[in-house]
Amino acid sequence: MGDIRKWFMKAHDKDNGSGSKKAKPAPSSLEKSASAGKTGPSGGESAGRQITSKYFASEKQEAKDAEETEVLPIIRKSPRDTKESPAKRKFQKYNEESPKASPLKKSNKVDDNDDDAVLSSSKKNMSEVTPNKKLKSGSGKGITQKPVEIEASDDEETKGTDSSLKPSGRGRGGKGSSAATIGGRGRGGGRGGFMNFGERKDPPHKGEKEVPEGAPDCLAGLTFVISGTLDSLEREEAEDLIKRHGGRVTGSVSKKTNYLLCDEDIGGRKSSKAKELGTGFLTEDGLFDMIRASGKKAPPRQDPKKSVVKSEESPTKKNFQKVQAKSHKDLAAGASPAKQKSGTAEFSNLTWTEKYRPKVPNDIIGNQSLVKQLHDWLAHWNENFLDVGSKKKVKKASDSGAKKAVLLCGGPGIGKTTSAKLVSQMLGFEAIEVNASDNRGKSDAKIQKGIGGSNANSIKELISNESLHFKMNQPKHHKTVLIMDEVDGMSAGDRGGVADLIASIKMSKIPIICICNDRYSQKLKSLVNYCLILSFRKPTKQQMAKRLVQVANAEGLQVNEIALEELAERVNGDMRMALNQLQYLSLSMSVIKYDDIRQRLLSSKKDEDISPFTAVDKLFGFNSGKLRMDERIDLSMSDLDLVPLLIQENYINYRPSAVSKDDTGIKRMDLIARAAESIADGDIINVQIRRHRQWQLSQSSCVASCIIPASLLHGQRETLEQYERNFNRFGAWLGKNSTFGKNMRLLEDLHVHILASRESCSGREHLRVENLTLFLKRLTEPLHTLPKDEAVKTVVEFMSLYSISQEDFDTVLELSKFQGRKNPLDGVAPAVKAALTKAYKEASKTHMVRAADLIALPGMKKAPKKRIAAILEPTEDTVEGAGGETLVESDDENSVDNEGEENSTNGQKLQLELQSLNKKGMQVQLDLKGVEDSSAKKSGGRGKGGRTSQASEKKGGRGSGSATKRKR
Amino acid sequence: MLWVDKYRPKTLDQITVHQDVAQNLKKLVNEQDCPHLLFYGPSGSGKKTLVMALIRQMFGPSADKVKVENKTWKVDAGTRTIDIELTTLSSANHVELTPSDAGFQDRYIVQEIIKEMAKNRPIDSKGKRGHKVLVLNDVDKLSREAQHSLRRTMEKYSSYCRLILCCNSSSRVTEAIRSRCLNVRINGPTEEQIFKVLEYIGKKEGLQLPSGFASRIAEKSNRSLRRAILSFETCRVQQYPFVSNQAIPPMDWEEYITEIASEIMKEQSPKRLFQVRGKLYELLVNCIPPEIILKRLLYELLKKLDAELKHEVCHWAAYYEHRMRLGQKAIFHIEAFVAKFMSIYKTFLISTFG
Repeated sequence: MGDIRKWFMKAHDKDNGSGSKKAKPAPSSLEKSASAGKTGPSGGESAGRQITSKYFASEKQEAKDAEETEVLPIIRKSPRDTKESPAKRKFQKYNEESPKASPLKKSNKVDDNDDDAVLSSSKKNMSEVTPNKKLKSGSGKGITQKPVEIEASDDEETKGTDSSLKPSGRGRGGKGSSAATIGGRGRGGGRGGFMNFGERKDPPHKGEKEVPEGAPDCLAGLTFVISGTLDSLEREEAEDLIKRHGGRVTGSVSKKTNYLLCDEDIGGRKSSKAKELGTGFLTEDGLFDMIRASGKKAPPRQDPKKSVVKSEESPTKKNFQKVQAKSHKDLAAGASPAKQKSGTAEFSNLTWTEKYRPKVPNDIIGNQSLVKQLHDWLAHWNENFLDVGSKKKVKKASDSGAKKAVLLCGGPGIGKTTSAKLVSQMLGFEAIEVNASDNRGKSDAKIQKGIGGSNANSIKELISNESLHFKMNQPKHHKTVLIMDEVDGMSAGDRGGVADLIASIKMSKIPIICICNDRYSQKLKSLVNYCLILSFRKPTKQQMAKRLVQVANAEGLQVNEIALEELAERVNGDMRMALNQLQYLSLSMSVIKYDDIRQRLLSSKKDEDISPFTAVDKLFGFNSGKLRMDERIDLSMSDLDLVPLLIQENYINYRPSAVSKDDTGIKRMDLIARAAESIADGDIINVQIRRHRQWQLSQSSCVASCIIPASLLHGQRETLEQYERNFNRFGAWLGKNSTFGKNMRLLEDLHVHILASRESCSGREHLRVENLTLFLKRLTEPLHTLPKDEAVKTVVEFMSLYSISQEDFDTVLELSKFQGRKNPLDGVAPAVKAALTKAYKEASKTHMVRAADLIALPGMKKAPKKRIAAILEPTEDTVEGAGGETLVESDDENSVDNEGEENSTNGQKLQLELQSLNKKGMQVQLDLKGVEDSSAKKSGGRGKGGRTSQASEKKGGRGSGSATKRKR
Repeated sequence: MLWVDKYRPKTLDQITVHQDVAQNLKKLVNEQDCPHLLFYGPSGSGKKTLVMALIRQMFGPSADKVKVENKTWKVDAGTRTIDIELTTLSSANHVELTPSDAGFQDRYIVQEIIKEMAKNRPIDSKGKRGHKVLVLNDVDKLSREAQHSLRRTMEKYSSYCRLILCCNSSSRVTEAIRSRCLNVRINGPTEEQIFKVLEYIGKKEGLQLPSGFASRIAEKSNRSLRRAILSFETCRVQQYPFVSNQAIPPMDWEEYITEIASEIMKEQSPKRLFQVRGKLYELLVNCIPPEIILKRLLYELLKKLDAELKHEVCHWAAYYEHRMRLGQKAIFHIEAFVAKFMSIYKTFLISTFG
């Protein structure tokens, strides 16, 4: 169950990602406007830089606010404007102030510059600077309540984890961050993925509504619960939207919940509970309005009415909260001295992954039970395997001790190596790590040669030497454990590495810990049997976020917990990556928001594979018009073969949103025609790519076969047939093509048989296009019209004339089958069919065998290989003894004749084979003899019996010869 | 036996439809200097019959002793070996094959297999050095590369190996190959000639032919003798004594395409396009060559189309057929044509009738 669930979770994650991509343009445009207003950094700068500027903007604003409160208090109409994005606010502030307060601005500028200078010059000491700054602004504003609020709004996010200390008092203060809510979130994550998979309907107006953009934290502090199907958003999209605007999404309704987001489905458990608790209901449109309101109306004027919810918020509360948070922060800092800021400065050259590597096993996130298991195994290793000396087999009492080595497996960055090291360290083992950077090939069998530089030999040495140690009764002195890291990375350079490792395990006197990423790797198949397998799981995002918060606090970063959870989710359980990303982010900013993480990780997200279906969904989605070109290329490149097929299969189903009014459908038809032409272009390009290896064209192929059709027709999907599910179909081409291939082979069989009959010499194409109709008539018509016996006789005669076998009969039927046509055998009495089969079998014993695959070989159900056709002629000369010799010779000659060098050697080989295979050959001959005997009689009466026996014998030989060859 | 096979002329002398060509060929062979030959002409005109008769004329009865081989050739193509399956029909002196069956790998067939075959010189029983004949069908379907490889082979081994090429359209055979061959154009038989052949068969089979029946078949056969004889026999199987107004049954797939065409004319909508796609798939799966489908579809559509659209529709059909040959997935191109047609026709209908 765990695995499946994980899988689905992953799928769910992907969906989340999709939402993010769509949502992406919103913040960036916002930023752009901000930066444009500031005239500072140009809009085209990298995301990181922009974020930085944003950060500075907020700093500036704070400073300005401080001054404002003294000089121009009137301007601040209400405390609520903290809800606005700082950048916007600033912009607007400038607008308002610029006429009056230009000197002020100047002073601000100076201020800012100072800040900047400090920030950029001493990045290492940033953690120190930040609190300073905070102190400054805090002290500056501490007098009045309002400025504190501003500060609080920033702080609030970072303090999420320390919720337990927060007052859960009024309204929304503690709401988002209480421990209970976190649990709820966890369930929320699972819920979207597995539980309701396939159960919930699609939103009725999926992708039809414009998703609004609002101020980034307009929903801050609000907690939502989503119930039922929304009108246009997928659950995941809605979740994403809320999170992006700073809100929380939980799984179940509680007192803390502000809104129950639902469009229908009133009456479920959630809604009843919500009614009980008096939680507000909110429709999707309502949500959009909320966001839109903050986004649109806010910048020009701070309208007190714009956010009803937020007005409830009381300044006092915020203040209190902030103080609380601050004190808590100090507390936390004091609690773990190791992570103090002084420490930061000292070790700043260390990467965080090293710095915050767990120091004791309990620090390891997740997988505690596995760590425990590993610990037990290692602790008991000596008694299990060494104390009993040579009689290892006797002691197999405890399961974990039964295997001499352990194999830790799991994805990268989840702490395998760390656990192995920590556990051995804790138990006082000396860990010797051998990883992919060392050559791990097969050791020389002769260790006597000495270590001689070969690492493998030194391993051998190590494990065998240890036994010496042991014999010398010094077990306590040098306890060693061998950690073989990255065993699945043993590749071409490490020849025989795994086998050698197994050998080592068998003879080892020291514990061996192997570590791998993929335990199902082909290379490790043999190893798995010798190891105790401990599969590490990814830590949950809550677990990770908790740890990340610790790190962030220690480094003096202000990060909101939602953002960290997002980070944890994005890196897919890879703690190392999360830390690296966090460190990178910390270089440019000290306050990290949800959006920053999203943006930062957008690129790394792409590396994760999206299913072709998801890609096609996105390409055709309502919002796909907003996708950037490179995103589209990435989507269509996710599977270069499958995505174009899916597009081709489904493009007809989309009602293009580009066409506004189209009563007659002309426009749509026109778009479809254009899309179809573009798809055909893609096919042509694809031929160039595949056949002529012009891979540089692959982007053009993407554009032609995926992007153009998708951009022409993206919109809402509709069904074309009744009862069709409104999902993208799998491309039919693959299936049809394979059926086509099969039918082509069948047709070729038929063709060969007919050619072999020598009555006809038409080509395969003509056979199908022109002759087949008549063949069908000749084969089936008599069964309808003539009386049974006569009909059967006519048909069988016709079949034997053209060497049509029963399979070919079916082929003829199969190939002329069309939808809506009745089967030509309908209405034929079963008795007639049975008689036909019987008669055919009867006749096949007597009629001439002309193609090798028509011969039944003894002990074989089917002909050896279909379609090695050769002609078997009736021979008068049925003496078996001579048959073997002439057969070989003639065959040899034949192949030299017209197949050239390559085959002449073949022929010789065949000769040898035949000689060695005399026995089998004879058997075949014997069987053929029966056939030939009887057919000889028949051919006596036939006009064509006059062929020279020599020639025919030759052919007979060929046929059986190849047959024998095949048989082998 | 089917009548097509039964009444196929066996020797050059028996040939009635292209008597002049046959006589010329006979002279050519008797003078012992037979060049490479390229027969081209519409299907059902008798190219294959002429070739077989010619070979018989060259080698006598031994040409009748053919064997069919369908074997897998291992061709070494630089970095890898490719397995190519090929059916050959061969006697001691001649080999017949259809290299285009190998699809886009036909180049290897020409480069390796045909070259091998051409290299080997047959030796007569009398010790006289004879020459052998390679019959290649459907050369116009060979890829450009394959045709280029072919022309060197034609020159190099021309002293003892003759190539007889058969194709429908000489324009799809490269200039270089055409100039190395004696080109023989085989016209489709006239309706008159077809009519005569049918009457001959009818007489031989002892059938009562109502007046006008044979000419009607000849008319419907589109000047393909094979087609005419086949449908003649189909009629015979379906209903014997003939009635003069007896329906001549179309081929199964033609019927199906007619259905598709009328569906397209009736409604132009995404839904209909989707249904048509399903039907086109069915035709393709049943091994009907896509070019033939497209051609027939156009033919059926033109029958019902207003004159002013015909030109445009033909243009698009040609356009998409060309692209189909460049591409690989025929269905995409046929569908694109259907979509295009629907778009054009719908616009036309609405602008005309509102």
